[in-house]
Amino acid sequence: MKLGVSFVTAAMMLAGSAAFAAEKTLDIGVSDALTGGAAVYGLPQANAVKMAADEINAKGGIKVGEDSYKLNVIAYDDQANPTEATNAVRKLIDRDGVKFILGFCCSGATGAVASFIANEDAVMLVGNAAERSITTREIPNLVRTRPPADYTGAAAGTFVAQKGHKKVAVLGALDVGFYASYVDAFEKELNKAGGEIITRESFGLKDRDMTPQLTKIRELNPDAILVVGYVEPAAFIYRQATELGIDVPRYGFTSGSEEQFLRVATSEQMEGVWDLRPTELTLLSASENGKAYHANYTAKYGIAPSPSSPYAYDQTYALKHALEAAGTVEDTAAVAAALRELPVPEEVVMQYLPVGGKMFDVNGQAYTSNGAFQWQGGNWVFVQDLPSDAEAYSKFLSTID
Amino acid sequence: MIEILQQIVNGLAIGGVYVLIALGLTTVFGILGIAHFAHGSVSMFGGYLTFFLVASLGFPLLLAILVALLIGLVLGVLIEWLAYRPVRNASHINAFIVALGLTMMVEGLNLEFFGHEQVVIPTNLSRIFDIGGVTIPELRLYVIMAAALLIVAMTLFVEKTKTGQAIRAVAENRDAAILMGVNVKTIPMIVFSISTALGVCAGVMVGSLFAIAPGIGQWLVVKGFAVLILGGLGSIPGAIVGGLVLGVTEALAAGFISSAYKDVIAFVVMIAVLLLRPQGLMGKS
Repeated sequence: MKLGVSFVTAAMMLAGSAAFAAEKTLDIGVSDALTGGAAVYGLPQANAVKMAADEINAKGGIKVGEDSYKLNVIAYDDQANPTEATNAVRKLIDRDGVKFILGFCCSGATGAVASFIANEDAVMLVGNAAERSITTREIPNLVRTRPPADYTGAAAGTFVAQKGHKKVAVLGALDVGFYASYVDAFEKELNKAGGEIITRESFGLKDRDMTPQLTKIRELNPDAILVVGYVEPAAFIYRQATELGIDVPRYGFTSGSEEQFLRVATSEQMEGVWDLRPTELTLLSASENGKAYHANYTAKYGIAPSPSSPYAYDQTYALKHALEAAGTVEDTAAVAAALRELPVPEEVVMQYLPVGGKMFDVNGQAYTSNGAFQWQGGNWVFVQDLPSDAEAYSKFLSTID
Repeated sequence: MIEILQQIVNGLAIGGVYVLIALGLTTVFGILGIAHFAHGSVSMFGGYLTFFLVASLGFPLLLAILVALLIGLVLGVLIEWLAYRPVRNASHINAFIVALGLTMMVEGLNLEFFGHEQVVIPTNLSRIFDIGGVTIPELRLYVIMAAALLIVAMTLFVEKTKTGQAIRAVAENRDAAILMGVNVKTIPMIVFSISTALGVCAGVMVGSLFAIAPGIGQWLVVKGFAVLILGGLGSIPGAIVGGLVLGVTEALAAGFISSAYKDVIAFVVMIAVLLLRPQGLMGKS
C-alpha cells in the first residue's frame, strides 16, 4: 500500500513538474502577399518568418521571464491589397488574438494597416514596404526593417551622376508612391551634378509589354535608363530594351533575385544591368549570417530566397529580443518600446547601420547600407557601397509630418 | 516616321492577341448570345498547359502547342456540353451566371494545377530583325504571322466551308437555319471548340511574348470584350479590325501621348468610335 501511495505521489509530482515546465505557445501573425503580382516579395517574406520561428523554436523558443514560448506563425494572404490587408490584420487581432504582426512587403497594403494600428493592442513590424510615410506618422507600435525608398534613391542619383550620365530616361511604376519618391530623390541628386531626367514613362504593375515606352525612349537618345518597379515588369523592360537595340547603361531599383529575372530574360539580356538598392541579400556579398540564411532557406523551400526576404527574417529576431528584453508577451507597449531600444541582434542577415547604437531610430525606422549591384555572368555582383548617411536621414525623417 | 512604324509594329503583336481572343468571344456571342467571361481563363489554361508540356515534360514547343490545341478543342466541347447547354433555353441571366461561375472555376483550377507564379513559355527565339530601321524581335514576328494565319484560316472557314456557312446561318436566323436543315445542336459545340482553340493560341502567344499569371485572363477578357464592342457585337471582321485598332492605339498612345494613360486613351478612342457608330466599326445598324 505504502509503495502504491509513493508511486502515485511520485507520478503526481512528475505530472505536476511536467505541467509546470510545459512550453507555452505564442502566436505571431504574418500579413503578406502570398499570391498575385507581389507574391515575388510577399511569399519569401512569409517563408522567412516561418524559418526564423522554426530556428527559434529549435533553440528552445523565446525566454520571457520564467516562461519559454514556442512561436506559432499564422499567415494570411493580403495580396498586397489594402482592403485584403486590413481584413487579414483584423482577423489576426480580433479572431486569432495575435499581438505581433510581421510581413508587409508592399506599401499600399502596409499603409492601410498603419493607418489604424496605433489604436490596436498590437505591434506591427514592417518588412519590404518602402513608402516613406509609413515611418513618418509617429506610430509608437510600428517599426520597419527596410529603409525608405528616397533614402536609397538619393544615393542612386549620386552614383549615376558620378558615372557621368547627363540625360537619364526613367521608366517606372510611377503611380506607386515609393517608386515615385525614389525617382524624385534620384532626380534631385542628378540635377545637383548637372544631369537631368529627360522623360518619365510609366507602366502598370500588370503591364508586360513596355515596347511603346521603350521605343519613345530610344528616340530620345538617353545616356542611361533608370527602371523602377516590381521585378517581373522590370525583367520584361530589360529584355525588351535589348530586343529594341537600346544599348545604353541600364540602372534599376527592383530587388529581384537572379532566379526571378531569369524566368523572363536571358542572362545575356541582363548582362551589365545595375540594381541600386539597399544592400540586401546577395550571395556574393553576404555576411556569414547571409550565407547561412541562403543555404537554410534553399534547403527548406527548394528555391533560393529573394534578396529582400531577410527583412522579414530579421523582424522575427528583432521581435524575439524585444520580447525577452521587455519580459512580457502581453504588454505590447513595453515590447514596442523595447524594439526602439534594441541594438542590432547578432542573428540578423541584413547589414544594418544603427542610429545611436540602436537598430531602429526614434521613428521606428531601421537603415541598411545601400549598394550598387551589377549583373555579371548570370549573377548579381556587389560592386560598391553607395553613399548612405543613416544618421542624417533619420534626422530628416523626424522633420516630416 | 520610323518611330510611328515601330509603334505600329509594337501594337500589331498585342493587337493580334486581342483579335484571337475577340474572335473566340464574338463567335460564341454571335451564335448563342452568351458573354463567355471564362474565355480569358480558358486561354490562360492553354498557355499554362503549353508551359507545363515544354518546361516539365520536355515536349518540343510546336508539339506542345499542338497537344494544347487538341485539348482546347475537347475542352470547348465539354464547356458547351456541361456548362452552357443545360441553360440554353433558359433566361439569359442563367447563362450569365454560369459564365461567371465558370470563370471562377477555371481560375481556381489554373491556380491549383499550375500555382501562383508567373510563367513564361520558353521559345529560344532570340534573333532580332531590322527592317528599314524598324526592329522586330523574332518571337514578335512569329506571333504576328501566326495571328495573321489564324485570322485568315478562321475567315476562310467561316466563309467557305459548309460548317462555317451553317454557323453564319444560325447566327443570322436560328429558326430559318433549322428550316434549311442545319443541325443546330452541333453548331454550338463546334463554335465552342473553335473558340477555345483560338483562346489557347492566344494564351500561348501571351505566355511566350509576355507571361501567364493569375489575373491575366481577366485582363485579356476585358480587352476582348472591348474589341467586341469596338468592332461590332458578333461580327468576325469587326473583331479583326477592332483588335488591331485597339492594339495599335494603345502603342501609339503610350508612345506619343502618355504611357500612364494608354489604357484610358484607348478606351476614349473606343467610346468616340461608338458615339459615331453605335453598332461598332463593322457591326450592322
